[in-house]
Amino acid sequence: MDFSSNIASQLNAGTILPEGIVIITLMVVLIGDLIGGRNARSWLPYGAIAGLLASIAALYTAWDSPSTIGFLGAFNGDNLSIVFRGIIALSTVVTILMSIRYVEQTGTSLAEFIAIMLTATLGGMFLSGANELVMIFVSLEMLSISSYLMTGYMKRDPRSNEAALKYLLIGASSSAIFLYGSSLLYGLSGGETTLDTISTKILASDSSSSLGLAIALVFVIAGIAFKISAVPFHQWTPDVYEGSPTPVVAFLSVGSKAAGFALAIRLLVTAFSSIVDEWHLIFTALAILSMVLGNVVALAQTSMKRMLAYSSIGQAGFVMIGLTAGTNAGYSSMVFYLLVYLFMNLGAFSGVILFSLRTGTDQISEYAGLYQKDPLLTLGLSLCLLSLGGIPPLAGFFGKIYLFWAGWQAGLYGLVLLALVASVVSIYYYIRVVKMMVVKEPHEMSDSVKNYPEIRWNLQGMRPLQVGLVLSVIATSLAGILSNPLFSLANDSVTSTPILQSTIVNTRISQGEIPSSNINP
Amino acid sequence: MLSFLLCFPVLGAILIGLIPSKLDSSRLRQITAILAFIIFGATIWLLTQFNLSDPGWQFSEYLPWADFIGLSYSLAVDGLSLPLIALNSLLTIIAIYSIGENVERPRLYYALTLLINAGITGALASQNLLLFVIFYELELIPFYLMIAIWGGEKRGYASTKFLLYTAVSGLLVLAAFLGIGFLNGASSFDYDIITTEGLALNTKLILLTVLLIGFGIKIPLVPLHTWLPDAYTEASPAVTILLGGILAKLGTYGLIRFGLQLFPDAWAIVSPGLAIIGTVSVLYGALSAIAQKDIKRMVAYSSIGHMGYILVAAAAGTRLSTLGAVAQMISHGLILALLFHLVGIVERKVGTRDLDVLNGLMNPIRGLPLTSALLITAGMASAGIPGLVGFAAEFIVFQGSFSTFPIPTLLCIVASGLTAVYFVILLNRTCFGKLDNEKSYYPPVLPTETIPALVLTLIILVLGVQPNWLLKWIEPTTDLFVVRVHPIEQVAVNNKLN
Repeated sequence: MDFSSNIASQLNAGTILPEGIVIITLMVVLIGDLIGGRNARSWLPYGAIAGLLASIAALYTAWDSPSTIGFLGAFNGDNLSIVFRGIIALSTVVTILMSIRYVEQTGTSLAEFIAIMLTATLGGMFLSGANELVMIFVSLEMLSISSYLMTGYMKRDPRSNEAALKYLLIGASSSAIFLYGSSLLYGLSGGETTLDTISTKILASDSSSSLGLAIALVFVIAGIAFKISAVPFHQWTPDVYEGSPTPVVAFLSVGSKAAGFALAIRLLVTAFSSIVDEWHLIFTALAILSMVLGNVVALAQTSMKRMLAYSSIGQAGFVMIGLTAGTNAGYSSMVFYLLVYLFMNLGAFSGVILFSLRTGTDQISEYAGLYQKDPLLTLGLSLCLLSLGGIPPLAGFFGKIYLFWAGWQAGLYGLVLLALVASVVSIYYYIRVVKMMVVKEPHEMSDSVKNYPEIRWNLQGMRPLQVGLVLSVIATSLAGILSNPLFSLANDSVTSTPILQSTIVNTRISQGEIPSSNINP
Repeated sequence: MLSFLLCFPVLGAILIGLIPSKLDSSRLRQITAILAFIIFGATIWLLTQFNLSDPGWQFSEYLPWADFIGLSYSLAVDGLSLPLIALNSLLTIIAIYSIGENVERPRLYYALTLLINAGITGALASQNLLLFVIFYELELIPFYLMIAIWGGEKRGYASTKFLLYTAVSGLLVLAAFLGIGFLNGASSFDYDIITTEGLALNTKLILLTVLLIGFGIKIPLVPLHTWLPDAYTEASPAVTILLGGILAKLGTYGLIRFGLQLFPDAWAIVSPGLAIIGTVSVLYGALSAIAQKDIKRMVAYSSIGHMGYILVAAAAGTRLSTLGAVAQMISHGLILALLFHLVGIVERKVGTRDLDVLNGLMNPIRGLPLTSALLITAGMASAGIPGLVGFAAEFIVFQGSFSTFPIPTLLCIVASGLTAVYFVILLNRTCFGKLDNEKSYYPPVLPTETIPALVLTLIILVLGVQPNWLLKWIEPTTDLFVVRVHPIEQVAVNNKLN
């Protein structure tokens, strides 16, 4: 008896209750599709959304729970993981809202698409809390393989096929590099796979700043930077974003990216705590390159999806400022920015989907004169794009100012100044689209807008798209002004996470900022 | 009360966006005008309630907002900001009447006008540095759209140029503010808490320079001015009234409020340089204006010149010159608004702005006699003819800054003469001469166009004869500034002695 209760407490299966709900939803969706056939598609997406919302509710109840370590140390359900799992689940909710009509229109099966999407969500959610090398790799692969499938889901479209192939080849190689880095970590630590044990073992051994550890770090970062599309591991992003179905792009740009950042924080902060300065340096370089390249190349794009692809590279550069700062404010500004990025990007992609559903194109020049035919879409897309550019009083401005504030506080003056310049450049290409939509005169309308179909919201799957767009736009407009709850959420998630707190304190001692007597009074 | 001034226009803008469609342009204008008059009434009420003997903050409001980054919703006004807020409300009304009756897309135009009003009031009244930046950047998109939609032929180019320059300006200001906050270790950006005391002088100089470039773009100072002629010329006159009348004042306001007051000792070091830049601006503006063939461009360059006086006065930092700087902001706002309003009427009625084509508008029957008469008054006010508010302000500026910077002041006085030169050219080519018999069949000027101009002229005249009605709001506050900034004069005098 004693033995079994001990096992139960060590397994602590309650920590993955939110994922459990997603798994059940996934099963229901799959089986419901098999049994109900095409009739099931009227309720399946809503069932999936309900499941995801239940999962988010379960995450809410797990907040501040005392025992966070589950599965013999393989999974850590601390508050940081809860926030990231929430972001990923929420991004899937909005993505499903926008994909109903999109997938329907292409004549492919909606239930299969949602099932793959839920698998990717599951992978991302597990990745946010994974605390062990094997677990990290398994969830990473779960996310990646589902993403390849989704990217190539429109299998009659050659561009979708090409994108899937490109994503698969680059993704599989980067996974392999990541795996090699993980195996090095396993070897360096004398056969440990749990992250905190690896850290203590490495600190105790003489390899705490060896070449082997540095190589492991670089290899691991190659895998992480691929997920968050940091330059120079970004090459897949523009092509995949352009070729994939748009809802998939929306998920990749928010859900998959958030999972990558969650992995980055957890892995780097714990396993590589002995060489903090090195990975800060690497991420500084990645941030500089991403901000410059993402924002400058986005200027020259003609396709909306490609423009948003480069914009997402640039935005990842902004988020990396928080990671490089490595302070409480730095991490929480990352979390806050990813939260508002969710609303901005999903709102923007909802607008793009809506436009391409009605006109069948997503060229920027085809948006000319849209304000006359579709004011709601124009307003929504403009607000989301301006928010991405960081215009007050929208959510993106507050997200950026918090990032810059945290960066400046941590002494990253150069990085913040570069980010300020990069955001001026970004305003230029975001406003170019707004200009197309709002400023153009009626006689300058593009052909697609001239033949714009009558707006009908009662078609199958249009109402959810509208709901998703309106909710994202409202969140984008108000999340900045009413930012206090989100600020506290982001801050609490960081300050109540033990792994971050211990490293932050350690770093400060090693830099001599706080005399160690202050920490243990 | 300040929150009302802030929220009411925003709510009004939303209301205008939402009211049932199919309202025609003139009905929308009436609704907007009523809203604008309510706002103006509220500022007048605020002026009457303002305690003239108290130089500090009044009507303070404070709400905590985002404490994590030191941002709070904290508003208050003093003698520097309140007159500018009143000017803002007045010019909003003028801008509503200054655009033609049948403006395209009236709904968007009037909504943006109200948003701009709210943003500028917010920037002037905010007591938190980050809050100021929010309102400062808030102006970006409405003005961009204003220029890009209701502009002239090259509006795309002009609006984008304006957007980029202004965005850079906002970011420089933000960078400087973050610098002030962190180098000091302050946890809040509230104006009363933040100081630059305790920073090394070199750090202060760097921060002040960043701030000067940031605000210098908006003012604009001479090397940073190239967005202005394009933006002013391509924008419709109504937009230019807001742009030049008020937005440019945010730059000088920021310079005095944040540059002069937060960096008193660094200011003393840069002030000779500032005086030179200001003088160059004045001369450059005047000489470039002489060369122009387009009335709007001429007035745009004259604006560069007149903003230069403010810089010279602010750089001098004496009691009188600071007072003169603020008075010049108000007077320039009024005069520029009148000039552009009249230029707008001329352009709408005659159909050209070219000085080589315009002629004989003074003709009492077939010309535009009243408009021309007012244009002459406005030109004289701008050139600094006594009896009008321009003279009063400029005279205080000159008298105040002469003791500190004699040579720049003398050069400014010379440039003031040049102002008269190009306005005489302007008036000579437009108002005098003979009408072209084949082309001169101009539509009548409507009362809704004339009345705003008459009101502005009246204010300019009254404040010119009785400048104390303007100065009494400003004086206690600027006196207080000078107490803080006292070392400047000392330093300048010492430099001379050595």
